[in-house]
Order: sequence, then structure tokens, then C-alpha cells
Amino acid sequence: MGLNARVETLPGHEIGVEEQQRFRVDDLLPSRVMRPADAQDAARGLRLCDQAAAAVVTWGGGTQMGLGPAPRRYEVAFSTDRMSRLLEYEPADLTCRVESGMRLRDLQEALLAQGQRLPLEPPHPERATVGGMLAANANGLGRARYGTVRDWVIGIAVVYPSGKLARAGGKVVKNVAGYDLMKLHIGALGTLGVIAEVNFKVQTRPQVEATLIAHFETPAPAIDSGTTLARQYLAPAAAVLLDNGALRECGLTGDWRWTLAIKLEGYAREVEAARDEATGIIREAGGRVEDGDVPSVFWDAARDWSAPDDGLVVVRAIVPLTAIRAIFSVLPGDSHVLAQPAAGLIDVRVAAGSAASVLQQLRSAAVDQGQVIVAAAPAAVKKGLDVWGMPPPGFPIMRALKQALDPNGILNPGRFVGGI
Amino acid sequence: MDGADRERLLGRLRDVVGDRYAFADPYEMRLYQYDASPETALPDIVVIPGSAAEVAQVVKICADAKVPITARSAASSLAGGTVPVKRGVVITFARMDRILEIDGDNLRAVVEPGVVNLALSQALKPLGYYYVPDPSSQGACTIGGNVGTNAGGPHTLLYGVTVNHVTGLELALPSGELVQVGGRKAASASGYDLTGLFVGSEGTMGIATKIWVKIQPLPPVQKTLMAVYPDVETASNAVSAIVRSGILPAAIEMMDKLSIQAIEAASHAGYPLDAGAVLLLEVDGIPALVDELGERMAKVCRESGASEVRVAKDEAERQALWKGRKGAFSAMGRLSPDFYVMDGVVPRTRLPETLAKIDAISVRTGFKICNVFHAGDGNLHPLVLFDAFKPGQYEAVLRIGDEILRLCADAGGSVTGEHGIGLEKRENIRYIFSDDDLEVMDRIRRVFDPHGLMNPGKVFPGDGLESAPSRAPEHAPRRASAVAGDGDVWV
Repeated sequence: MGLNARVETLPGHEIGVEEQQRFRVDDLLPSRVMRPADAQDAARGLRLCDQAAAAVVTWGGGTQMGLGPAPRRYEVAFSTDRMSRLLEYEPADLTCRVESGMRLRDLQEALLAQGQRLPLEPPHPERATVGGMLAANANGLGRARYGTVRDWVIGIAVVYPSGKLARAGGKVVKNVAGYDLMKLHIGALGTLGVIAEVNFKVQTRPQVEATLIAHFETPAPAIDSGTTLARQYLAPAAAVLLDNGALRECGLTGDWRWTLAIKLEGYAREVEAARDEATGIIREAGGRVEDGDVPSVFWDAARDWSAPDDGLVVVRAIVPLTAIRAIFSVLPGDSHVLAQPAAGLIDVRVAAGSAASVLQQLRSAAVDQGQVIVAAAPAAVKKGLDVWGMPPPGFPIMRALKQALDPNGILNPGRFVGGI
Repeated sequence: MDGADRERLLGRLRDVVGDRYAFADPYEMRLYQYDASPETALPDIVVIPGSAAEVAQVVKICADAKVPITARSAASSLAGGTVPVKRGVVITFARMDRILEIDGDNLRAVVEPGVVNLALSQALKPLGYYYVPDPSSQGACTIGGNVGTNAGGPHTLLYGVTVNHVTGLELALPSGELVQVGGRKAASASGYDLTGLFVGSEGTMGIATKIWVKIQPLPPVQKTLMAVYPDVETASNAVSAIVRSGILPAAIEMMDKLSIQAIEAASHAGYPLDAGAVLLLEVDGIPALVDELGERMAKVCRESGASEVRVAKDEAERQALWKGRKGAFSAMGRLSPDFYVMDGVVPRTRLPETLAKIDAISVRTGFKICNVFHAGDGNLHPLVLFDAFKPGQYEAVLRIGDEILRLCADAGGSVTGEHGIGLEKRENIRYIFSDDDLEVMDRIRRVFDPHGLMNPGKVFPGDGLESAPSRAPEHAPRRASAVAGDGDVWV
């Protein structure tokens, strides 16, 4: 039986033209869609895909589908959209368990009703799902203060091509029993299994929130202010550095060349003290602190900026704090940049034509201290780019892990580092 | 391993580390047969390498010869994690105890595995930084061992455990390679998170030879409160009330009546002897905030039934309160010749019923059970008191341990919060994981260690490996009283 014939025997349904476009990945269209109802259903479905040797791309909200090269093959769109329930939530334990297809915004709303939150804000929370956030390791602007996805996931249930539904971690906030497979699946882009359920720890919402905006003529003192803030006990909840172009794209107007926006969160007294401290650090570096309010859309726009919907190219550099200046020194004059200086993360929107050369220059500047990847790009542009860069030193182990968990290579083939 | 094989292997290992640092004399190796658990097993050879390159060569030689390898530093494991149950070679890190770099600009430190946890924080203190995870054994245990077990400690409630503070590792793998995963960067976007996977794998994947850790600014002020309760139930309900009030302190520790008596006899920490339970709470931050939070927390404590709330008035009093808590396990020697400590976890809201059930077990079996634990995390440390020289007591205590872990699992919790599965809980792991769960983990183990040579006999239940060793110790269990007194050796 040929592949097409085998795919036709799978559950789910053949896909119409419209739906095919919805589940498009770069230039590739699936021939079938499977929408499991729950974890057990997903396990059965994935096993059938494996038996049919059908290549599977797992779909959450689709907000990070630009990440990684195009898949080598793609037959089945495996959508978690029916797996969207909040399974358990005990506010007094500060923990919850959710299905992976739950939208981030829905989860945050449920938590908010109890005065709590998950301090993770990936781009487009109205569409992004919990599972997608894990798979893409999509973090928001709070990583310097609150850590990343890996710091908030306490348990996971994953469906493997073998049809096994296997768990790791648990429902309690402190737990060292067994291997920490949460870490393995976070950022694995669905290449090792399909995340079916996730257990989180959550936190009480901060008492107070405040924003501080400062302007600089050149990026260097702004970077220094950002990294100095990261080393303070009262570190900000978020600090972003934008050039004028990115500032406008985030809904703020003004002729400022460089803007450092700082979000402060915590108990009222803490925020008050942090504001004074930050103001002092910025002024000492030669920045000008603005008075007045910032429109609330600004932080949402800054959060979404690195995952654009409109086919823009975003290059991302991740470096130690002391290497941020070196990255800025090689940025082309016409690029738009949004950096998180406290986290060592620099996102750059570049013109399609210069993407390859910018990528090359940033990689030279980051040398062995960091990584530079293509975070988003249209399919045609991506084809000519080395999206992930050189595989890391532990790559042979990564390949062996892939072989151990997905021996037939049906999960998102070719989209991860080193062709995994 | 027969005598000739052992001599041959010893010769090859001495070629790598020098004659002084590899030995096989049974008398010299006695020290390396045990850790802080009751289990013991003598290795064939002990090696003390001086560098990562030597570790890699030692691992390669052993792996090629199919000889089991167990890594060990301070051996403060309470779960038998460093006992070489399959014999073979013990690698110990007494010579790899250097802090290689403190990089305040990038908020990182780079250390060798043998660096003592507290030594790192002491080195950081003059620079205004500290390393957060603080197991109670921090004066003895090493960062390498902390990576192995994903160690916790009282102050992990707010700031997270070891894995949240490790950003990179250099690993010696059974293949003989020395590989760096992760590093100095704050984030990673290239490949699987092998650093996160490795932390807590209890030496079953390889050996960490270099560790990149996060360091963070010291809190300006810390305030410690002691709240006195009539009984553990009221105190555990108070824990939920505190968490619900919106304040998450840096630490919430609980001690019951028996523990208080032992601690006071050993260290005069200042806990009231007539209390049914005390909570030790700590908040940190800027002075104005710490005062406010201290008052709010004291109010919640009183409203939830505390008869007295005492705030440590100075650093000396604060240190005394913590010394009592951190020395609690050693203090048990005052009450009993031996104890057996469990490390179960339950959701915070299930603390009252779980503690009541543990008390019922104590009443039913006649064994006294103390509770000293990280209440804010729901991480219980029931200590079952016994006398190993009385026939049948050790076996009875092991059964009690199993029963306690079963009820933690049934409450939606875990069989270990910070000590690790080790040797001790390898069957109990089935209370929380199915065969399928364990099969996936075992598959991953084999990617790193296809021949099952890295710390064999640990973490996984008996099957898949050779038959499980006897749980009864070969020798009489060591006496808790041997370390009672000032030593803070126990976790």
C-alpha cells in the first residue's frame, strides 16, 4: 500500500481546500487533519500515523509555525483544538492541570478570577496554546525576572508515536521523582512527541504594576542601563529596548532614537523603590526619563512584535549580557530592533534581501558565546537561510534521543536543529 | 570482578590519575561504601580524579571494560544515591572543588562538581550575590551532588530548586566524550534542553564535570518569624491561609512537638517546648516591604490560631532559629538511636489530612514519628524513630516508609521532593509512574548509557536491570547519635 493509500485509512478526515490553507506550513499542505478529543484519543491517532508512516505536524494556535525550516514531508495536521479543557485548578495549591490545546488567554482568565496568573506571556495569547508555548519555548518579556516556560511546568503528559501516553513530573511544586522530561519537550518543537496535558505552578498576581519610559541618543548607555537593572535585587518584570521604528510599530509615537521601556511589578513599596532606583540608574547613564502614562497596547504590541503575522523576517540573537553591545554594533542602520537587555535577547526585523548577510554578521559577533536563529520568515526567504545555525556540541545525543522516541521520524521531520 | 581484572583496571586508572588517587584496598575503601542512607556496598576501586579530562578518561576506561561507575562527592544522599550497589568504580570529587569563575556581570558562576554548596555562597557574599538553593546539608553537600539530585532546601519555595539555577553543564559521558551543554547564556534556542534533562538524573546519564549556575543579588533584609501553634493540624491550615493571603514567603518550615524537643535539647534554638507545632517563616526584600509583609504574615498567623508570633529581633536570633531547623535531623539522636527519614510531597491543601494519617500510623505501629519539613512546598520529612539493634525494627520501619509514601502518592503528591529516588525508593516510584512512563524514561537513559553502567541499580525499579539488592543493610545501620550535636550534616 502506498503512502497516500495508507494515509487515507487514518481516522480524521480528508481536508478541504480552505482547511488545507489553514494548516499550511511554509509551502506544504497536509492531506488529512486529525483532531483528537483527549490524550487517549491522541495516543491512538498518533500510533496509527506511525503505522502508516505519515508525517505529522502538531498544531496549536499556529502562532509559531514560522519557526524552523519547512518540514521534509507533511501528511497529517494533528490539531489539539478540541483538547482545550482546564482539567484541575486548586488556587490554594497554586497549581493547575490543563489540556495542551487550551489557549493562553483562556487559562489566564481562569487564573485571574482567583487573583492568580502564570507569569508567561508568549506572543498572541488569544491564539497561542499551552502546548504550542511549550513546544516552541515561546517566552514573553518577563523572562529575566520570572524565568522561562521550563521554570513553571511541573508535570507533563506526552503522546508518543508508539501509542504510549506517558507522564513525567506531577502535580506538586517540588518533585524529583524520575527524569525531568518536561525539560526535554519544552523547546523540542514537537519532534519528540505530542504534548497532551501540562501541569503548571502559578503565582499570585502582583499588587501593583507600573511602566517607566526613558530615551537615549545611542543604544550603548541604554543597554548598560538594562543590564545594570538586571543585576539589582529589585529587577524589573520586563525591560525592552527599541529603536524608533520598533517603537512606532508598538504604537508609541515620538522622535526618540532609542527607548528603554521598563515594567515594574510587585508589592507597592517594592515598585515605588524600584522606580526610584531605575530612574537613578537611567539618569546616571545619560537617559531621559519620561513622565506620563503609556498606552496599555504598548506592552501587548511589544510582546507580539517578534512573532509577526505579516511575513516579516525576524532574526533573534541570544547572548550573555556582556555580549549585547557587540551584537548592536553590527546591526544594519535600517533594521528595527526590540531587545531584552536584562535577558540577553535581541530580536531584529530585517528586509528579506539582507536577511542572509545580517544573520551572518550577527553570528560572527556572537561567536561561541551565543546563538543566532531565524525566529520568523516567509517560506521563500527561509529556504535560503540556515535557520538554526551550527548544531550545538551535544547534537549526537539529541539525534539519538529523536531516534529513541520517534524511530520512524514522523514528528515534524526536518524542522528542528540539525535536520531533526 | 576477580582479583586479576581488578589489578589490571587499577593499573590503567592509576596511569590516568596517578598512583595516590586510585586505590582498591578494602580498608581504605570503607569510607566509600555508604552515604547518609542506611544502605552500604563496597566498591571494587575508588578513583579521585583531578580534572574533567581525567574524569572523561576514567569513565571511558570503565565503560570499555563494562564496569559500573558511581559518582560521589559528600555522599550526604539520604536515598542511597551514591552507594555502589553493583560495585565497580566510585569516582569522587574531593580534588575537583574549585570555583572556576565568578562572573557578576553575567550573573553566573562556574564551578567544579566538588565545590561545597555553602562555600559558593560564602565566596559570593562579599560581592553582594548568592547561590539560592540551600539544602540543610549545605555545609557539606556539593554542587555536583545537588545537580545529581536536583536538590532543594528551605529557600526554594520562592526561588526554585537546583534546575532553575543551572544554565549549563560539561558532561563526561559513557562514550568517553566530554560535552558542554548550555552555558553562560540566559536562554537557549538551539536543540533539546539537555541541561534540564540531566539535572536530577542521579548520575544515571553521565557525570557533570563543570557547572554554570545563576547567581543573584542578596536580599537587602531578611525577616524570620516563628509562629507557635497548639497542634500540627492548625499549623498546616495556617500554611494554606498564608499562601491564600497572597504573600509567598521565601520559606515556610514546620516542626512538630517531638522535633522541637529534640532540637531544643541539641541546639537551644529558642523554640517553645510546650508548643504542638511551630512554623518558621521568612520574608526577604527591602526594609520597608519586609516590615509590612512581616506584620501581614504575623496577622494571618494569629488569625489562623497561633498562640504566639515571635519576630527574630536581630541576626543572632535569626541564625539561632535557622540553626535549630537545619540541624533538626542530627538532633534526633537525642530522642532515638536511629531514624529513618522520608521525603514525600503532597499538595499544600492536603497537608492536614496527610499529617493526621501519618500520626495514625505512628499510633498503630508504636513507632514515634517526627515531622520537620518544608511546609510551604508540601514537602514532608517524616522521621521514623527506631533502634536498629532490636530485631525486626528496621524491616518494620521500611514498611512504614512505604506506607507513608503510598499515602503521599494517593494524595496527588510524589515519593520524593528533593532527596531523589536513589536506591531506596526505586520500587516506590511505581506509586506515581506507570510502566509506560518508566519505559519512556528508561529509553532515554539508554541513549546516554546503553550498557547500564552509570550508577546502576538506582532510580528505576528492579526490572530492566539486574535483580534488586537486599534492602537490609549488610552491617548494622550507623547510629544517628554518631552525628548528633553540632554537625549540620543531615539534609
